[in-house]
Amino acid sequence: MNFIFNLTWREIRSSWRRLLFFFLCIAIGVGSIVALRSLIQNFSRSVGGDARALLTADFVINSSNDFSPTDVSKIEEVIGSSTIVEARNEVTETSAMARPVDKANQNFSFVELKGIEPPFPLVGNFTLSGEKPFDFKLLENKGAIVAPILLDDLNIKIGDKIRIGESEFQIRATFDEEPGGTGGFRLGARVFVSKNAFEAAGISQNRSRVRRRILYRTSDNPTDLITQLRETLKGTTITVQSYRETQERLGEQFERTENYLSLTGLLILVLGGVGVWNVARVFVEQKRKSVAVLKCLGASGNRIITVYLLQILTLGFLGSLFGVLLAQLGLWLAEWRYYDVLPAKMSYAVHFPVAWQGILLGVLISLLFSALPLLQVRNIKPRLLLHDAGGEKTRRLDWTKTIFGAISLAGLLALAVWQAGSVKVGAFFLVGLGFTSLFLYLAAVVLTILLKKIKNFGSFSVRQAINSLYRPGNQTRIILLAVGLGAFVVLAVQSLQLNLVREFDFTRNAKLPSLFFIDIQKSQIDELKQIVQMATSENVQIVPTIRARIAFVNGEPFDFENRETRQQQGIIGREFAVTYRPEMDENETLLAGKWWNGAANNIDDAQVSVEEEMSKSLGVNVGDWMTFDISGRKIQVQIANIRKLDLRNTRTAFVFVFRPGVLEAAPQTFVATVLKKLPATSRAKLQREIIDKFPNVQIFDVADIVAAVQKLVNNFVLAISFVGSFVILSGILILIGSIALTKSQRIYENAILKTLGAKRPTLAAILLAEYGLLGLLAGIIGTVFATALSFGVSRYLFDIDWEFDFTLTILGVLITTILVMTVGAIASFDVLFRKPLGILRSQ
Amino acid sequence: MIILQNVTKIVRSGTEDLTILDDVSLEIPDGEFVAVTGASGSGKSTLLGLIAGLDAPSSGEILIDGANVTTMSEDELAELRSKKIGFIFQSFHLIPSLTAFENILIPMEILGLKDAKSRAEQLLSDVDLKNRGHHYPTELSGGEQQRIAIARAFANHPKILLADEPTGNLDSKNGNHIFDLMTELHDQNNVSLVLVTHDQSLANRAQRQVVLKDGRVLSDENNLQGLQD
Repeated sequence: MNFIFNLTWREIRSSWRRLLFFFLCIAIGVGSIVALRSLIQNFSRSVGGDARALLTADFVINSSNDFSPTDVSKIEEVIGSSTIVEARNEVTETSAMARPVDKANQNFSFVELKGIEPPFPLVGNFTLSGEKPFDFKLLENKGAIVAPILLDDLNIKIGDKIRIGESEFQIRATFDEEPGGTGGFRLGARVFVSKNAFEAAGISQNRSRVRRRILYRTSDNPTDLITQLRETLKGTTITVQSYRETQERLGEQFERTENYLSLTGLLILVLGGVGVWNVARVFVEQKRKSVAVLKCLGASGNRIITVYLLQILTLGFLGSLFGVLLAQLGLWLAEWRYYDVLPAKMSYAVHFPVAWQGILLGVLISLLFSALPLLQVRNIKPRLLLHDAGGEKTRRLDWTKTIFGAISLAGLLALAVWQAGSVKVGAFFLVGLGFTSLFLYLAAVVLTILLKKIKNFGSFSVRQAINSLYRPGNQTRIILLAVGLGAFVVLAVQSLQLNLVREFDFTRNAKLPSLFFIDIQKSQIDELKQIVQMATSENVQIVPTIRARIAFVNGEPFDFENRETRQQQGIIGREFAVTYRPEMDENETLLAGKWWNGAANNIDDAQVSVEEEMSKSLGVNVGDWMTFDISGRKIQVQIANIRKLDLRNTRTAFVFVFRPGVLEAAPQTFVATVLKKLPATSRAKLQREIIDKFPNVQIFDVADIVAAVQKLVNNFVLAISFVGSFVILSGILILIGSIALTKSQRIYENAILKTLGAKRPTLAAILLAEYGLLGLLAGIIGTVFATALSFGVSRYLFDIDWEFDFTLTILGVLITTILVMTVGAIASFDVLFRKPLGILRSQ
Repeated sequence: MIILQNVTKIVRSGTEDLTILDDVSLEIPDGEFVAVTGASGSGKSTLLGLIAGLDAPSSGEILIDGANVTTMSEDELAELRSKKIGFIFQSFHLIPSLTAFENILIPMEILGLKDAKSRAEQLLSDVDLKNRGHHYPTELSGGEQQRIAIARAFANHPKILLADEPTGNLDSKNGNHIFDLMTELHDQNNVSLVLVTHDQSLANRAQRQVVLKDGRVLSDENNLQGLQD
């Protein structure tokens, strides 16, 4: 053992510079995994960690209608029999338009209005600006507490009055932290008023876009109470939500996100593994003579392999430790750069379990990727010290290698499954990566073969450069694979971003309206039409909408006690805006069943058309029966057909469309859309005119939504590009490593060329041409594959239009070429300044 | 005692078989100094490599102290070399990543000798390189490297020392010095020394001279001068 440890230490001492790239490859991979996992865990702890604070209660009863007296008595009966309820309050929420009362101020804004009653909050903190505690007195006599951004949006100050619906509210304070946090996608700023003032503002009359919630705080686990409530309220559209279930759902979501992100980290680590494999391969090649000497001196093959394995493990471990350090630096960088968009109380520390996991992964990847090259040590025969025949003859089928290859592959699969948290996803990841690498590698092979065909053309420097790409032990294909993969990821993301942003650019979609007016009352239609027509000279389309919830499917209510059903609650349990019309829209295609002919004459003809994805979520088909709850009334309809919606070419998109003759008598509001693209000032003027005239009408400016979505897309792209840049970094490390590993040959060649009369500029030109060619090929491979992926994902996954981007393609190839040329030239520039005599002597 | 019985070595060169050694039989008693000479390509180095178990013969047997080398596995051969054989190469073959001192230490560490360090220091001093132990091979001259290689070969008290043209890469002064050192150590330690050389004057100083030609033993005679020495 002494021999093994001593030699390991001595080898590390002398070879660490050569193995530095090995160390860095592992460090970058481990760093990515640890940083991504820690980031998402910290995020989930600060956002979803306390679902109770997020829900601001132990459990909540939700309804989109007024609670009927029957419902209230049912609820009270169950709650009354419980001894664990400590406190309750009611909250009503809606979105509305707000504008300053001051006529001279023409601003207006979309707001998220919340009516509250004491005691508030039941759970969580409500902190006003300037660290002042919340006092309910501030809301009395039509007071309002608003998010600071509203003051900027409306250009008003504390003490000013705003109009929401029929009422005027005085702004008494702004808040820093609201109960439940400010996360999620919100179009408008939050405004708190008292529940009574909310009801008095007339917003909730004749419309049902108001969410009503009763919140409860309990002294003990409320699970049994919730089961009882669900049983009692079965068949109504009232839902019960517990913080424990929310926590469970959030936990699952964050875990999934964490696992997917970890796979991205694993991709970088596997790329690092390719670097490790490469370094180990060339390292063994360089150590052939030393291995032969050791064998000659009596060391067995296994002992020598153990020495190198220990060396790899040590470096893998140290590299992983350094990776953890890099992860911490990355987290601090994220804090510095994204402090404003990440939660205020989020921690930026690496977690110990994550760090250990990363270190274990780093060491295992080092081991898996170096095992096969190290096995080559067994085939090195000591006789090469007498006659170096150059390379060892290997048996046709080396069983040990085959077995170790299979073990390495199985190990890699196990790591992917472990990181993905799913056998299926892990296997898909590995197979996907395998195929991508294989295709990239094949492309590299084809390109290098083509290049060989033209090696007799061009100047002396270019010919020499091409020859250099084929020198023995060259790393050309590996470099092309690694750098090409990096370029591929970054360019694919960029191309997808361009296509996504283009898709949301409403100026390109003639059918997408520029303005939506919703919650229009029947009595307001004519006047609103007139105003809009005056401003736009467009005949406005008016569509009736009714708010409905699904009560039963084929006579059965949803069982939200069932975990799977509960996970779908957001899709099937929500309130839908439904409509009725005699004809199909242009953007709709029938998939099954028939469209109706005329209005329904009696209750048996009541029919509905269901959108394709929804029919899948509900598991329904043509002929099935559905019962909808509309303002407390149950309406049973039969599914007449299943429809596909072309969202790219849409004006409105309804999941459920009813046959005329069913819903006409139900409480309804109307939606108006404006197609004409108006300049921003005209849009604002029209909106303000409508708000002044019809305070209850809500207006969605599509330009605002597009901007919000674009911001989301940009953040998403930024995050992926950030990860993509790590992939490129790994690729560059492999490039630098490969250059270092073939340096001695380059030095020797240059010495010969110098002896034969080549000047430094010629040698420099060869160097630049060699790396320029490598970069060009890697750029072409990356761009071609990125274009293919972007096309596939756009067309078949996102279902959006795809356009080829010429500028991106040219820039992609150009930047990759320059990058590889620069890195290659810097890493090998010193070769030009070596004196030839000493080099030739030493060979 | 080294015994070679009808040893033949055939290698494949392109599409043809090339006979390097052809039915060679030899016996080398313990403590004998044998020089193997012959023209280039006569099979001298191959013979040496086969004795050390660095390669396997195509047919025939090689026995070292009664043990059949030709049937041993790679690891058994390594163990045999570690315990009984020292090897000196024409191009030294020191491990470049280790210092001179560590190069001498290696065989003893492989064998697990306890007094390895003090013996390595003694060997360094024996080859007159006491002050050069911390130098790497690239920092030493050819002669110095070969002296380190000799010290390494003697480290494990081998019974057999095999030297493949040890002075071939050195000038005559250094060459003589190395030869003297080898024979001196041979005399002191009573090892069998098999020396492959082109240099007839060195061969004449051995106790016995085997001449190879085209893979066959052309002559095998005792050297009067060598015996007298």
